[in-house]
Amino acid sequence: MSSAPILKIDQIDVFYGDFHALWDVSLTISKGDIVSIIGANGAGKSTLMYTIAGQHVPANGTIEFMGDRIDGMGPHLSVGKGIALVPEGRRVFPRLTVYDNLIIGAYTPRARANIDENIKKIHDLFPILAERGNQRSITLSGGEQQMLAIGRALMSEPELLLCDEISLGLAPVVIKSIYKQLEVISQEGLTIVLVEQDVKRSLRFADYAYVMLEGKIALQGKAVELGEDQVKKAYFGM
Amino acid sequence: MIREPFKYRWLVLGALFILLATLPVWGSDYMLLLGLLFCLYAALSQMWNLLTGYSGLLSLGQQAFIGFGGYTMAVTTSYYNINIWLSILAGGVTSVLLALFMSLFIFRMSGIFFAIGTWIFAEILMLWFSNWEYVKYGTGLFVKPPNPPSMTMIYYAALTMGVAALATVYLILRSKIGLGLMAMRDNEAVSSSMGVEIFRSKLFCFLVAAFITGTTAGVLYVFQIFIQPYKAFAIDWTVSLVFIVIIGGIGTIEGPIVGSLIFVLLSQYLSEYGHISLLLLGIIAIIIILVAPKGIMGTLQEKTGFELLSPRRLFSEEPG
Amino acid sequence: MEALMQPVINGILLGGLYAVIALGLTTMFGIVKLVNLAHGDLMILSSYLSLALVTYLGINPFVSLIFVVPIMFVVGFALQKYLLNRVLGKEMEPPLLVAFGVSIILQNLLLLVFTPDAKGIMTVISVKTIQLGNIHLPVLYLADFVIGCLVIFFLRLFYNKSFLGRAIRAASDDVGAARLMGIDTSNIFAIAMGIAMITAAIAGVLVGMTFTFYPHTGPQYLIISFGVIIIGGLGSMRGAFVGGIILAEAQLLGAHFTGPGYQLLIGYAVLLIILAIRPQGLFGQAH
Repeated sequence: MSSAPILKIDQIDVFYGDFHALWDVSLTISKGDIVSIIGANGAGKSTLMYTIAGQHVPANGTIEFMGDRIDGMGPHLSVGKGIALVPEGRRVFPRLTVYDNLIIGAYTPRARANIDENIKKIHDLFPILAERGNQRSITLSGGEQQMLAIGRALMSEPELLLCDEISLGLAPVVIKSIYKQLEVISQEGLTIVLVEQDVKRSLRFADYAYVMLEGKIALQGKAVELGEDQVKKAYFGM
Repeated sequence: MIREPFKYRWLVLGALFILLATLPVWGSDYMLLLGLLFCLYAALSQMWNLLTGYSGLLSLGQQAFIGFGGYTMAVTTSYYNINIWLSILAGGVTSVLLALFMSLFIFRMSGIFFAIGTWIFAEILMLWFSNWEYVKYGTGLFVKPPNPPSMTMIYYAALTMGVAALATVYLILRSKIGLGLMAMRDNEAVSSSMGVEIFRSKLFCFLVAAFITGTTAGVLYVFQIFIQPYKAFAIDWTVSLVFIVIIGGIGTIEGPIVGSLIFVLLSQYLSEYGHISLLLLGIIAIIIILVAPKGIMGTLQEKTGFELLSPRRLFSEEPG
Repeated sequence: MEALMQPVINGILLGGLYAVIALGLTTMFGIVKLVNLAHGDLMILSSYLSLALVTYLGINPFVSLIFVVPIMFVVGFALQKYLLNRVLGKEMEPPLLVAFGVSIILQNLLLLVFTPDAKGIMTVISVKTIQLGNIHLPVLYLADFVIGCLVIFFLRLFYNKSFLGRAIRAASDDVGAARLMGIDTSNIFAIAMGIAMITAAIAGVLVGMTFTFYPHTGPQYLIISFGVIIIGGLGSMRGAFVGGIILAEAQLLGAHFTGPGYQLLIGYAVLLIILAIRPQGLFGQAH
């Protein structure tokens, strides 16, 4: 643990109707860390991300973010607190221009003050977004859309950035450059949570890792201390 | 899920039919009037339900066939002294021809455009008839048949239409066409794999609905004696049908029957309050869409499995 | 040729009015895929509100907009938030039928309050014309056109440049992602409807000054709106402007050649033909 916890999840359970998606999940994330959440399809990774982002309400347990309870705050409020989610599948607004997508990222009052400054930062990070500013975002390539989705999330000036499957369907070169830029942001003090299919890349990149299995945390530890075999076993529930 | 059909369904239906068939014998004149309106609205709403509830064709232009069928009857019988029953049938035939012509345009449209297309057609007919000397412009026509039928005769004609509409919908839904339509309703993917067949089934239902609506309108205007474009081609007809089917239960065979009964009783009861009647019906319909979107019969079916006439064949599986 | 100039120019001016009438309908369709069948009646409600204000307060109809516009915004907001949002979903019919119900309720409510008599909002400019050579420009039509253009201009500006406008478009593209941005989508749709009703309020006051109206006029303007949208393409404001002019030209030129009784008839016939040839509208994109 490098410093004070930014996010503290304590024994939450999440249901979709009758389906019990998360079982008694607890985790703590330290400020400035990169945390990786690893698990097979349906292990509950995305559910966990959406719950942190306030899109699902836990049936019990608590979520504390920077010292405040945020569980059950309502789906559109957590972003104002400083949590931004880059959703799986990118979900950029297809008919809006690249520029408008970024502007919408700064919808919350706290982010509106520094729009121009932040857009400039994001353009430095991903220059292609400046070049394509006036194009509809549906015309972008997959990698460019992913950059836009990350840039849009950063526009809200988050303290915590949740990235759900950001390398899905992208070419290795593109993935590499996106991760490089994430490292840059991380060095500026942003806390990042990553959900990835690729165990190797996750462990290499992260400070800390959680392995999920069937809605529960099966294994956790510092990324450098977790062996790949150990992770794989937990991943498959062996 | 295997579901027992309601055991006494033929008993209930038979009793209802005998009740209606003997109405002229035991009922007062006022009850006969109510019975007549009930049968006519049941026939008309059954057709709107066939289109919107089963075939995915949201029609806002049923008044096109009501006006066209009614005018055909009025013109043939008043101008050419043709037997009144033949005139009524002629109204059905011309409505089918109209529907065929309309289909050239509107079957290229889908969803809301189809709905608007049917409505625009009805509006065009209204404007055309009110500018047409042959039908005495907007002043309207009196129906003067060579041998005017008695009220009892008209009532039986209405009952025939009500029963015919019910039987037609029942038979269509239990035929191959109905199976296809219901497969389409339950599963979008099926419809795209059966494009041409679905198109034919929809067109068939559209033509059948035109025939029965046009014929029923003939009976209606024999009873009303007077036809006028601004009333005959008014959207108000479809408004009533929509309310009947929504209240009774869209996509159920019993829905239009229950809805018609409520509609006729309610509008008679409220008629002394004039426009409040329609206002209340509007409010009731909205409340029903909000709290029980499947209407009275649809909700009843869902909660208790009660179904008088199942469109699905016996012991067939429920979808999903 | 010169005789044609008058209907052609009137058609262009009237087209601007038609475009404003259709604006609220087309934006709401673009945003929530909602076909508001009560659009025409809500517009006529604005005409009556303005008439009541003009009659009882003795104010100018344009001044009455100060009251009618906010009232209609609230009406639209409430209608969407408490009624239509509840039935928005995969199926097209429920919201359509709810709107249909609202339409019937409004018509009969207006009938109760204002009687079935035809009404009109009189102003000093009602009968004034400007002479340009052989052509008479009715001042009222000119005002309709200018105000129509202004409304379209500002609405486009709002949707393209303001935070709220962008948020509405974002929510229309992807509701889930919009929530992640901190957008309260149920409020956003209600605001969008409120704004649609602002345009309907302006259209209603203009229509009230230009034509006579009665409680059942709503559907007639709904069909005109559909005409404009069908020609111009759904969800497009520029399309609405062009669609308005084409529809008005079809009507006025039709009336010029065949007599006024056929004005509406020819307008509808043009619509049907366009619908049959290009179901997505002249300027619409195929889906």
